[in-house]
Amino acid sequence: MPALFFAGLAIIAAGGLSAVLLRRRSGLAAGVFATLIVAGCAMVAIPAVDMLTGGRAWEISLAARVPGGDWVIGMDQLSAFFLLAIAIVGAAAAVYGAGYLAGAHRGAVAFAHAAVALLLVALALVVTARAAVPFLIAWEVMAIAAFLLVMYEHEEDDTRRAGLIYLAATHTATLALIALFATWGVGARDLSFASLAQVAASPTGFGRNAVLLLALLAFGLKAGVVPFHFWLPGAHAAAPSHVSALMSGLVIKTGIYGLLRVAGLIGGVPEWYGWTLLGLGLLSGVLGVVWALAQHDLKRLLAYHSVENIGIILIGMGVGTLGRAYGLPAVATLGYAGAILHVLNHALFKGLLFLGAGSVAQAAGTRRMDALGGLARLMPVTWLAFLVASAAIVGLPPLNGFVSEWTIVQALLRAGLGEGAIRAAIFAVAGLGLMGGLALACFAKVNGVVFLGRPRTRGAEAARESGPFLLGPMLALALACVLIGLLPALMVPPAIAAAGVVAGPSALGGVDLSWDLVRFSRLAVLLTLALTLAWLTWRRLMRGRWRTVAHTWNGAYPLPTPRMQYTASSFAAPVLEPFGAIAGLRAERTEAGLETHPFDPGLDGVLLPAWWRMRAVTASLRSAQMSRLHVSLLFVLATVIALLCYLALRANW
Amino acid sequence: MTWSSVAALGVVLLVAPALPGVATRTRSFLTGRRGPPALQLYFELAKLLRKRVVYGATTTWLFRIAPVSGLVAALLAACLLPLDGRGAIAGFAGDFVLFAGLLALGRFLVILAALDTGSSLEGVGASREAMVGAFAETALFLVFAALVLATGRTTLSGMLGSPLVAAWSASLPSLAMLGLGLFVLLLAEASRVPVDDPATHLELTMIHEVAILDYSGPDLALVLYGSSLKFALFTALAAGVLGPRAALGPAAALAVLPAELLLVAVAVGAVEAVTARLRLNRIPQLLVATSALVVFATILLLRPA
Repeated sequence: MPALFFAGLAIIAAGGLSAVLLRRRSGLAAGVFATLIVAGCAMVAIPAVDMLTGGRAWEISLAARVPGGDWVIGMDQLSAFFLLAIAIVGAAAAVYGAGYLAGAHRGAVAFAHAAVALLLVALALVVTARAAVPFLIAWEVMAIAAFLLVMYEHEEDDTRRAGLIYLAATHTATLALIALFATWGVGARDLSFASLAQVAASPTGFGRNAVLLLALLAFGLKAGVVPFHFWLPGAHAAAPSHVSALMSGLVIKTGIYGLLRVAGLIGGVPEWYGWTLLGLGLLSGVLGVVWALAQHDLKRLLAYHSVENIGIILIGMGVGTLGRAYGLPAVATLGYAGAILHVLNHALFKGLLFLGAGSVAQAAGTRRMDALGGLARLMPVTWLAFLVASAAIVGLPPLNGFVSEWTIVQALLRAGLGEGAIRAAIFAVAGLGLMGGLALACFAKVNGVVFLGRPRTRGAEAARESGPFLLGPMLALALACVLIGLLPALMVPPAIAAAGVVAGPSALGGVDLSWDLVRFSRLAVLLTLALTLAWLTWRRLMRGRWRTVAHTWNGAYPLPTPRMQYTASSFAAPVLEPFGAIAGLRAERTEAGLETHPFDPGLDGVLLPAWWRMRAVTASLRSAQMSRLHVSLLFVLATVIALLCYLALRANW
Repeated sequence: MTWSSVAALGVVLLVAPALPGVATRTRSFLTGRRGPPALQLYFELAKLLRKRVVYGATTTWLFRIAPVSGLVAALLAACLLPLDGRGAIAGFAGDFVLFAGLLALGRFLVILAALDTGSSLEGVGASREAMVGAFAETALFLVFAALVLATGRTTLSGMLGSPLVAAWSASLPSLAMLGLGLFVLLLAEASRVPVDDPATHLELTMIHEVAILDYSGPDLALVLYGSSLKFALFTALAAGVLGPRAALGPAAALAVLPAELLLVAVAVGAVEAVTARLRLNRIPQLLVATSALVVFATILLLRPA
């Protein structure tokens, strides 16, 4: 199996290389690139599926002549689960990208493909690395590859701004990671994860709380947890759409992987950590969807929904951690399993949504929702796939988003029926309900404004259905969403097995969902059958009675125009009003209309003002720095004297 | 699945169209008017089913499948409720999430179908429907969580069945609050005063009515029947919490069921007679207050015994 895994990575890398080598013959290059990536992803998926269906965990170790010990690469259920998501979404996004960038006449296309391949290899290594040094290297390669891809359209001011903010954020995360491994590895033999786990298990204390806090900072920044989400919407909106799918679907999930891996290695986790995760999850979830509702740019909206879904995942992880801390193994397993399953589910439907948004943007020439409309007739297949993904992200049965939400609710309910303070975790159920309701409003808005009604502009009128390179991956992802929804028994047991890696294998005994899964599955299939049958019967009954077509009723107004349709601003306004200032919306009401301007309360409200204030303060110090040579020398002399005084005084104590 | 659960579903399906009529009739009676007959909706359904359908030129397939799909979703949701007071037709651990999900599916279809027409009036309805739905779902999840705590069961059959009877003696104040919360949710989900006014005739003041404005003929019949079924489901929920029937024999429980449903419908009419419709931006406040009430009930339930 390890051989297959590395061969798969090599083929993915070869795919990237082929795009560069064949860049003069773009048609051939796209085909070769797509074929190689799909083949490579399939080969990487095989060891993952093998592991999840009861295969043996493996580890291989490469002797490295650098500090930190051997480079260990390994596979267990947790790695396998993430790897599966990477293989599926990676292949879909690469094929889509080959078609999506085909029309662009620029040499950068080849390098964008190469960067995608690099990103996929780095992602696969991040989730399989078993030592700090290869983990950090893969992590940094992943961050840089993603940065290059975000900067693809670097002529745009917005893109450069988003790219720089992303770069700053991701390097802060790397810095925190280095600090994490440095803190944790103090007493360790080397920096392999096995040694780190030994340190954590040893009776002599280590900075457990410091490690957990650093993990929250580093991985929270990567995952886009509020308040560390500020880089995410800009970067995801600026990147080409298949890259947005990779970033939202996979790259931010490495933050979740990191948190899970640290929790698995560190052994006992304190209660405060579980409550913090739960609180951050609720905060990210609710604020993410509220901010998403306020957006006008289709891709920014989807990006804020990633913040929301990271929140849902964090709720699962939070209750899982609490289950561990309070000694309720079933709660721990179900919470972690729900979170892990939602990682895959979100990768599938959010990847699909971003691909759909890319098709829309390419066909209509804009991502501004209020300039679109009526695309359901012009791009029927794209819409069908987008609609499936929308229903899935809202958590509607019988689709995959519902399954993970149900699993997390199970964990919360069992926590509520437990003993002690953990019972209060049951209130998080209300948060999930609110998120579901608001997400429904948000995706009703997206589908309604972008796809339904009539085209609002010439650009939208001119939109045409995309080609097979774009539609194929979207339909494949939609199928995966339906499949997991109808047959949860397919993915829930592997997710529970992966949860065992985090919660400890002893936790697995307390959970038996098989009977519930079967009943649930039956109902989901029944629902689908009933919907289809009812529709066919109804159509037959109504035959010959419903061909009459007339104008839409518009308050007796005879000549409705597309401009009279409800806009995204108006649709979201009543839902957002109760949230007041935190909704991140500046509304301008004129006699004739309503115009809303979304802003990010975290980035535009706090972070950037603080940055400019800091710049202003430090600018006033510049005069001291930039002055004449002898003044600078005086500073050096003063510093040396101060240091000497400090040393002398300390020696005397 | 028992015969009584299937029979109870039959009773609910049969009685459902009477409930809005009874509520409206009560309201009319209390405000000194006569009002339409209580069985008005049956007549309307019979009339609509004989008519032709007119579709807007803007609409897509979604508009056409929405009524029948929404009704199927509501029917399946009904199968999850223990309508006979002891057991549902189908169920599994955490099935209330599916119950809420199926209702959400119906709402999603109504909203999308409204936007499908491209009419700004129906956009108004769609947007308001989404707003009410988001806040109502929060309260609904909280109610179910509280019922799980009260009864120790995670299936709807358990939390509304015989364990609930035992829970009443142990935690009366909490369950009373939950029943009240469910009653407010009923008003919101079934589009009744003070959230929505089914009797209004101006599009701009409607919520549910304006969202389904473009439906006609048999399609409208399905939509109206679906709405009345939703009314019946929330009535059954509120009645199930306030007057659990698990202690009665199966036949007696079946006989009491329509009486309880009609009684709650009369209560809805009475509320409509004494309150006015709320301003639109007060509706979230009402629903958040309901959630707060349920949170209090939950805190009481969390108190160590």
